[in-house]
Amino acid sequence: MPFRRPRFVHGKILRNTGSGIFYRMEVAIPEPLSFVPGQFAMVSGWPGNDPLLPRPLAIFRSGGTRGKGTVEFVYKVVGRGTALLSGLHGGDPLALTLPLGHGFEFPGEDRSWWLVGGGVGFSTVFPAAAALDAQRSDFEIFLGARTRDQLPPGDWIPGGAIPGRVHLCTDDGTAGFFGSVTAALRERLDRWKPSGKGRLAILACGPREMLKTVAEAALPLDVRVQVSLESHMACGFGVCWGCVTEVREGGKAVYRRVCKEGPVFDAREVVW
Amino acid sequence: MTSPVTPDLTVRVGTVLLKNPVISASGTFGYGLEFTPFYDISRLGAVIVKGLSLLPTPGNAPGRIVETPAGMLNAIGLQNIGVDRFVTEVAPRLADAGAVCAANIYGRTVEEYEAVARRLSEVPMLAAIELNASCPNVKEGGIAFGSTPEGLSGLTRRVRAATGKPLWVKLSPNVSDIGAIARAAEEAGADAVTLINTIVGMAVDPRTRRPKLSNVTGGLSGPAVKPVALRMVWEACKAVKIPVIGIGGIQSAEDALEFLLVGAAAVQVGTANFRNPNACVEIIDGIRDFLVREKISRLDEYRGTLLL
Repeated sequence: MPFRRPRFVHGKILRNTGSGIFYRMEVAIPEPLSFVPGQFAMVSGWPGNDPLLPRPLAIFRSGGTRGKGTVEFVYKVVGRGTALLSGLHGGDPLALTLPLGHGFEFPGEDRSWWLVGGGVGFSTVFPAAAALDAQRSDFEIFLGARTRDQLPPGDWIPGGAIPGRVHLCTDDGTAGFFGSVTAALRERLDRWKPSGKGRLAILACGPREMLKTVAEAALPLDVRVQVSLESHMACGFGVCWGCVTEVREGGKAVYRRVCKEGPVFDAREVVW
Repeated sequence: MTSPVTPDLTVRVGTVLLKNPVISASGTFGYGLEFTPFYDISRLGAVIVKGLSLLPTPGNAPGRIVETPAGMLNAIGLQNIGVDRFVTEVAPRLADAGAVCAANIYGRTVEEYEAVARRLSEVPMLAAIELNASCPNVKEGGIAFGSTPEGLSGLTRRVRAATGKPLWVKLSPNVSDIGAIARAAEEAGADAVTLINTIVGMAVDPRTRRPKLSNVTGGLSGPAVKPVALRMVWEACKAVKIPVIGIGGIQSAEDALEFLLVGAAAVQVGTANFRNPNACVEIIDGIRDFLVREKISRLDEYRGTLLL
């Protein structure tokens, strides 16, 4: 049985290769893993105490068979931790705590799904797209980047880069829609009509400003929006209380842990 | 060939008997139950739960943690569910888990400390109360009481009178004479002292010109503080007769042994739990392996044997 409760495991890197500004890392772990899209792992692989803390990475894919699991991550170098990760090679050891957090929810009713990824945020929504693709659900993908080179490779896109289903957006117009992913989403929302396919749901991950704009555009149209938030975190499993974000619960603003109650929140609850 | 003998790791903190010297530190272990997916928490010497206040506390605004060289600063602001929810919802589950537990407490006033201590005195499963007289991140989070011998003595006396539970007093390192502070706690009736809490620190961004923590300053923990902690524990051990619980930057069994060597009765593991949820049990196993290798049958024979 694949494990789904959090475990601390020692893994071994199978490959860790750069593709444009992104790295894709595959790791062998002792057992196969079952995860919900949107869940993440705390990962560290450098010797010594500096940097001290592991880094949160969205789980991109998992596989393997009994006694021989694999897990994949896609990441971008943003600081010292991810720079150190990018320098690791096949065969290097890696410590992982996974799977962590509350992922995306897929209510049973029939819906159209739109997945929005800004920057490296695609690494969080692609697993959701893969799950929807596997169950032949109706989905579209919106991907935003500054420029063409910062979009994910086409063959990473679940179901392939099918025009009409996958909307590429670049700030400089070098690929796809000339403008932000939120501007493309607004245009698509203007054209969208509720149909026999049921209600629309949006799953989004990216910079906080982008997520806020997505929520502002879609929530008034009664579209259900789930956002995956980022935060600095020390533990990733709910004990340090360092990663909190403000959410509304029962009319009251409270601090909830991005690592435990999140990283995926109902956009209606987030205090932007 | 001699048959391998399992060394005796039991330690005594005053009247509290622990199966081993490794205690999870308050504020780094949630309410204990969060670790049950990783291991059986009854394997620990003891679990100390997150600092409890009379009423639920929302904590500080985000921007609560920042990583620093070989350490981290935190300014969580003592976010917690309050003593009532702990007693009714958490304590029974911790008892079911079979863990030896102590509760860390704090108040904004002496009266609040007393009220929390009284409420927890009704909980049979609690082995001790740890008095937080040293949180650096809340104005009235204890540091106001814990930074002078007089202030600490007054607070400890009042809480001592409010509870029959063993009372451990957690000390701040942000003082000039740790020995005098530890003696003040001892004379006021503490059954043990725990040290060190975090060291007040700060981090700023030169480009945005803003502090990295919403609280501006925070508490430094992790390997970066270990030498300071070790020196202070050593000094406190010389200053008092009550047990000293050593804490500060312990990441490994070797780190824990250093604190035991300078005289600590037990140790607490804090920040290490964040990067390895199994840190505490790995440290227990490491201490046992060390004693086997060194052919020491009882941890007590090793404790406090620093050669000078």
